[in-house]
Amino acid sequence: MATTTLEISKSAGMARIKKAILPYVYLLPAFVVMSVITFYPLIYQVIISFTDFQTKDLLKQLASPNLNYIGVKNYVDIVTGGLPVQNFEFFRVLTYNIWWAVTNVLVHVPAGVLIAVLLNTQGLWGKKIYRALYVLPVVIPPIVVGTVWKNIFDEQYGAMNQFLTAVVHLFGTADPVRIRWLTEYTPPIPWLLPNGPLTLAYYAMMIANFWLGWPFMTLVATGALQSIPKDLYEAASIDGASGSQQFWNITVPLLRPAMIPAAMYGFTMSFNLFNFVFFMSGGGPARSTEILVTFAYDLVRNLRLYGAAAAFSVIVFFVALIVFLVTNRITRATEAYTEA
Amino acid sequence: MTSVTYENVVKKFGEMTAVDNINFHVDDKEFLVLVGPSGCGKTTALRLLAGLEEISSGEIKIGDRVVNDVAPKDRDIAMVFQSYALYPHLSVYDNMAFGLKLRKVNKDEIKRRVTEAADVLGITDLLQRKPRQLSGGQRQRVAVGRAIVREPKVFLFDEPLSNLDAKLRVQMRAEISKLHQRLQTTFIYVTHDQTEAMTMATRIAVINKGKLQQIDTPQNLYDHPGNLFVAGFIGSPAMNFFPGKLRKDGDKIVVDTGDFVVPIPAAKAAPYKPHTDKDIIFGIRPENIHDADFVPPNIDAEKVAVKVDVTELMGNEIFLYLVSGKNTFVARVDPRSKLRVGQQAQVMFDMDNFHIFDASTEEAIR
Ligand SMILES: Nc1ncnc2c1ncn2[C@@H]1O[C@H](COP(=O)(O)OP(=O)(O)O)[C@@H](O)[C@H]1O
Ligand SMILES: [Mg+2]
Repeated sequence: MATTTLEISKSAGMARIKKAILPYVYLLPAFVVMSVITFYPLIYQVIISFTDFQTKDLLKQLASPNLNYIGVKNYVDIVTGGLPVQNFEFFRVLTYNIWWAVTNVLVHVPAGVLIAVLLNTQGLWGKKIYRALYVLPVVIPPIVVGTVWKNIFDEQYGAMNQFLTAVVHLFGTADPVRIRWLTEYTPPIPWLLPNGPLTLAYYAMMIANFWLGWPFMTLVATGALQSIPKDLYEAASIDGASGSQQFWNITVPLLRPAMIPAAMYGFTMSFNLFNFVFFMSGGGPARSTEILVTFAYDLVRNLRLYGAAAAFSVIVFFVALIVFLVTNRITRATEAYTEA
Repeated sequence: MTSVTYENVVKKFGEMTAVDNINFHVDDKEFLVLVGPSGCGKTTALRLLAGLEEISSGEIKIGDRVVNDVAPKDRDIAMVFQSYALYPHLSVYDNMAFGLKLRKVNKDEIKRRVTEAADVLGITDLLQRKPRQLSGGQRQRVAVGRAIVREPKVFLFDEPLSNLDAKLRVQMRAEISKLHQRLQTTFIYVTHDQTEAMTMATRIAVINKGKLQQIDTPQNLYDHPGNLFVAGFIGSPAMNFFPGKLRKDGDKIVVDTGDFVVPIPAAKAAPYKPHTDKDIIFGIRPENIHDADFVPPNIDAEKVAVKVDVTELMGNEIFLYLVSGKNTFVARVDPRSKLRVGQQAQVMFDMDNFHIFDASTEEAIR
């Protein structure tokens, strides 16, 4: 009796160990692939961030006789402005980057919600068509969007200036409008971001990125709206809530659990929106719309400062990590109101 | 004085008529239950009163005021929804206070009313919780509490107990009745459950297919159903029906079902005389069919030969499922009955308590 119990528990123990190991066996191939394509470059990059790696070292890489280990000099140079690069102050770019992401989200989320609420009106004609239409910007690559909007804001031939010209013509002015949207450096509102001016390009890019950003928010809000039970509005209308009171007291709080993660996602998207920024303004004028990732690219492509670029990428990695942790935390802290 | 009046009320959804020309009057402080099978239009009738649906034609009055074009919030009503419709992001306290805050009632008054209602409903401990942290029964109380604090002139309930388990339902039934006595206001209560209707209502309105069938006190509905539908709907187990004919047999009038013939007592025969040879439906409730060995004294009992198909022992009574020719029916007999499955036997129909309906109009003949 006693022995059989023991044997059973022994073999059960074996089975348990097997069960614990098995998942790792399955993960092994993926781990091998990731080592080659992810971990190796990552570690390599950290190593060269401590060197003065330049074009001359490309051939022999780490074995290059000219390669010097310079400790944290690259990091110090980046933060203190010691890089041989014009118009670059790390903290200004960082502030602008955060500002850029925050202001985009602050515009996209309310606009997305508002449009979702309007399109959700009962008995609205052609609902399905609108829904198909606003998915379009979500599926068009940001490169295309950036290029198209760059053309729209072209000083001479852009649709925006032509449109404005047509408008001022109505008021009797004959001069064509020639606003240098993407190249004018003098800021229209100098005090708005004290750490560095917001050029016209910023506003132009806000407009263009709005086109890119709101549909996703509308998509999420539409889904969330449909999950709000209709009888809550009925109960509220009997309780005495007007349309706008229902919006603020029911719609907004019940959309919150869906919109906060969406906003966090939007924030990280805008924060790292390389394609769009690179193709629309290239970070200009005078790096005023540069974000961290476009600057990292510039360090390699134009300035060939591989070591500094590597160090910069490591910094960006940590910034992104912090952004991720913070947004993740905010997202999880937003409890869902739905049934547990 | 808060009465409620439905006058020729019609509600159509497209081609579909959900409420078909309903007329009734609910007196002040009455507990009216609208009862009927699922999909008969009860909820729609209630929502019309609440102002959540627009009336297609007719008038609804609360007191003397026609409310057809009055917004829900200005009708001085409160409603308890079947789903409870609690605001999921607000605490129990805030759920109850919501309507009062919107009406700019001052803070102390809100607090007084909410704590008082919570006290009455026994949910004082739950005031800080969110709805998702409550059981079904607790949510139901909060929904009632939200209605009470508003101190409305009319309370509307839409199947408030249908999401609760059987035991809790019985308990809440009693509590809602108590609440009605305590508040002394008009209650209009929708349910598909005739037991709920019978136990709570001062009057019941039976609805079928959008039409009002009959409105009366529970006892009168039970004793004098106006038509076949009401007769079958009110009472559990349901009344037994036997299609048949009224025939003259000498100086008596008899019910002939083809399988058995029972004479109508002379004292009751008068209303049926004009209907001889008509197709009718004979109805008798299960408790008015007795085991021949246990017939109560002084009733006008008639023998019917049957075969016992199924027996259900309930402890204080026995349900017998009986077969007589092509008819199967239920009897609710004395628990001492010795009748067993498969047995050929005689049961006694109490001919002081029967119902006869015109087979074509389904109206009661009486
Ligand atoms: N908003 C609506 N649109 C179309 N048909 C409806 C609507 N509401 C209810 N109905 C229909 O009206 C009938 C009565 O519904 P309802 O009043 O909810 O029934 P009950 O509450 O008695 O179960 C049903 O056939 C239902 O399908
Ligand atoms: Mg209903």
